[in-house]
Amino acid sequence: MGEVLVAIAGSPNVGKSTLFNRITGGNVHVANWPGVTLQRAEGHIEHHGIKLRVVDLPGTYSLSAQDLGEKVARDFIVGEKPDVLVIVVDSTSLEKSLYLAIMTLELYTRVVIALNMIDAAEKRGIHIDVRGLEAKLGVPVIPVSALKGIGIGVLLDRILDIARSKIRKEPLRVDYDGLETYIHRIEKILRDEGTLKRYPARWAAIRLLEGDEVLLNELREEDPELAERVKYLREKARIDLGEDLERLAISSRYSLIDAVVRSTVTRVKLAAPSLSERLDKVMLHPVLGPLASTLIILVTFFLIFAVNTGFPLNLLFDHLGYEELAGLVEEYSLSGILGTFFDWVSSSMVDWLTSMGYSGWAVGLLSDGIMGSVGTLASFTPLLLMAYVFLGAMQDSGLFPRAAVAFDNLFKKFGLSGRAFFPAALGMGCSVAAVVSTRAMDDDRERMVTAMTSPLIPCQARLLVLLALASAAFSNPLEQSALTISVYLLSFMLYLVTSKLLNKFIFRVDYAPDLMMELPPYHRPSLRVVWWYARSNTEHFLRKAGLLIVGLGVATWFLLNFGPSGYLSDGNIADSFAASIGELLVPLTSLIGLPDWKYALAFEVGFVAKEGLLITFSAITGISDPVEALRAMDLTPLRAVSMALAMNYYVPCLATVAALTTELRVGKYVFLTVLLEMVLALLLAGVAYWAGYLLGLA
Amino acid sequence: MDLGRLVPLVTMRPGQRGRIVILDVGRGKARRLMEMGLLPGETVDVVSNSIGPVVVRVRGIILALGRNVASRIWVEVM
Repeated sequence: MGEVLVAIAGSPNVGKSTLFNRITGGNVHVANWPGVTLQRAEGHIEHHGIKLRVVDLPGTYSLSAQDLGEKVARDFIVGEKPDVLVIVVDSTSLEKSLYLAIMTLELYTRVVIALNMIDAAEKRGIHIDVRGLEAKLGVPVIPVSALKGIGIGVLLDRILDIARSKIRKEPLRVDYDGLETYIHRIEKILRDEGTLKRYPARWAAIRLLEGDEVLLNELREEDPELAERVKYLREKARIDLGEDLERLAISSRYSLIDAVVRSTVTRVKLAAPSLSERLDKVMLHPVLGPLASTLIILVTFFLIFAVNTGFPLNLLFDHLGYEELAGLVEEYSLSGILGTFFDWVSSSMVDWLTSMGYSGWAVGLLSDGIMGSVGTLASFTPLLLMAYVFLGAMQDSGLFPRAAVAFDNLFKKFGLSGRAFFPAALGMGCSVAAVVSTRAMDDDRERMVTAMTSPLIPCQARLLVLLALASAAFSNPLEQSALTISVYLLSFMLYLVTSKLLNKFIFRVDYAPDLMMELPPYHRPSLRVVWWYARSNTEHFLRKAGLLIVGLGVATWFLLNFGPSGYLSDGNIADSFAASIGELLVPLTSLIGLPDWKYALAFEVGFVAKEGLLITFSAITGISDPVEALRAMDLTPLRAVSMALAMNYYVPCLATVAALTTELRVGKYVFLTVLLEMVLALLLAGVAYWAGYLLGLA
Repeated sequence: MDLGRLVPLVTMRPGQRGRIVILDVGRGKARRLMEMGLLPGETVDVVSNSIGPVVVRVRGIILALGRNVASRIWVEVM
């Protein structure tokens, strides 16, 4: 037996990803679905000596092909014909989660149903007659708990059974009542003409009656005349029945679900008001909800910032007079530890390479150019990983959707829905993650707008630069915090205001999209799921951007260390190519009070990755501590403010531009995003600098 | 059915229960709502309703619906 292809389907919030992760043991490869930017996770395992390739399909409520996820899932099932399709349902709410199962069983029969969260159902006094369910649905049903790892072995056994079985089953028949006559007629036409052969004829007939435009277009390509006949029949059915056909079809499926649930599910006790309900009293409260959500986000990012950079603990200790403690916090923050480590590696390499008799520029290239960039990447990685861990925990716990509800009312005033909260929160971790997350939006315009504006939110890399600027230019911790916090507040304001402007002037709409969102029950985040989410996202990012960052780091090193006269062994950067390139941008940076090619060059390098700004200053001054390096650049407080504003907005980093290109898919909008940021940067930094200058602060 | 007794979902108070009668929200949204279990004939319980989205329980799950959508869902109060 060759490799078995297993696909996992399920609605949102039924624990599909948890089950996928449990089955594959986290041995997962994340990529995008071909042609679209939807994430595709795939894992390889072996069970009883047989290799399984497991594909996680997008979480969808149905297979209507109404959105990208539904289309991808449907095309995969029909096109790739997986040996086994696992449909995950939630045992605690079969009334709802069986919908996708029913719809899929009408289309495909090599199916096993995973009755997930069986432990939670039992705890709540919900008893499910598994054999009865199997009899009703005609496919194996396996009770599992993905979270606790119950029933996974049995599930895998049944997957192999189905993969081996040669028996062809008929798809599940739903009684469509009044629609049946029309279904038969279209079914007959499709069979007689041999069209839409990829699909079961009955399934295709129902979908066509329901008004499935994707399917109708497919039919039109095969036989335009037939498509017209089907359209005519659909119209006739609608008039004859005097009803919306889609509603009839969906109702029929839910009627079957009701009948199935009635005969297989018994509730032995009524659940007491759950923790979810009590928590929701706060989270959905008009005043307490937004407050609680804001507080949770603040605490979350306080933790991320503190572990990564020591901020704001270092400033707090400093202010309270414990300078030594503040120093320790910084030194033992993750970025501090990694910075020290890579400085050591780099200088050891210099000694070692020199002792091996290598010449000047080779030593520089290896120890500085390559090792330096790897160090940047490495110091950046835990930051990203941690941001993903916290964000993953918030998503998995059910807090994120509540926050979206809480902020809906505020966001509405800017033409956004509460969903716009997700990219904003993710953007505090990484703009790439923020841009990518917008694809989950229902509303196309909101998706575009938030993809374009979410890079305005300072990411972790920009936080590092911001903190270095604040520490270098201001000695008072209060002033340092004031600068940092102002930039954050300004950024959130700009996120909303520019979204409003884009809505109004580019997309020309003045209404906010409506929220239609499921609020899953709260639960304690699963460490496995959160870790898997964080790890796979970080890996995905590193694969995409890693080589790029190192490559451009090497290129920058080259520009800094070579000039028209060749290798600059004396380290005089003013003669380098970099200096000449920097000179080109000086007219622009003069506008914001930084008329120096060194700053201009830093901005150029910062485009690759924003923390590149700090690396440039270190490279130029030869001081590895970025704060000291900045101090050596005669950075006045006013220049620091200008720099902080310009640095944050002047352009999204290279990886973000790449993400924007794949997400927006319209060059015009990518260009517009970059232009918008440049204008904002020049305007804000320019106004701040010259206002300060006139006030005599220079 | 007495259509005069129908009220928009957005006017219902927390704790009230009703039966969905009409989804006047346009085709795409109606399909999404129905597939999420909110379809004519279903019973809804209002969980919360103040200034933001209306939160309802239907078919055992909790849905948050924007006020505009909720003002176009017509319900018979039970």
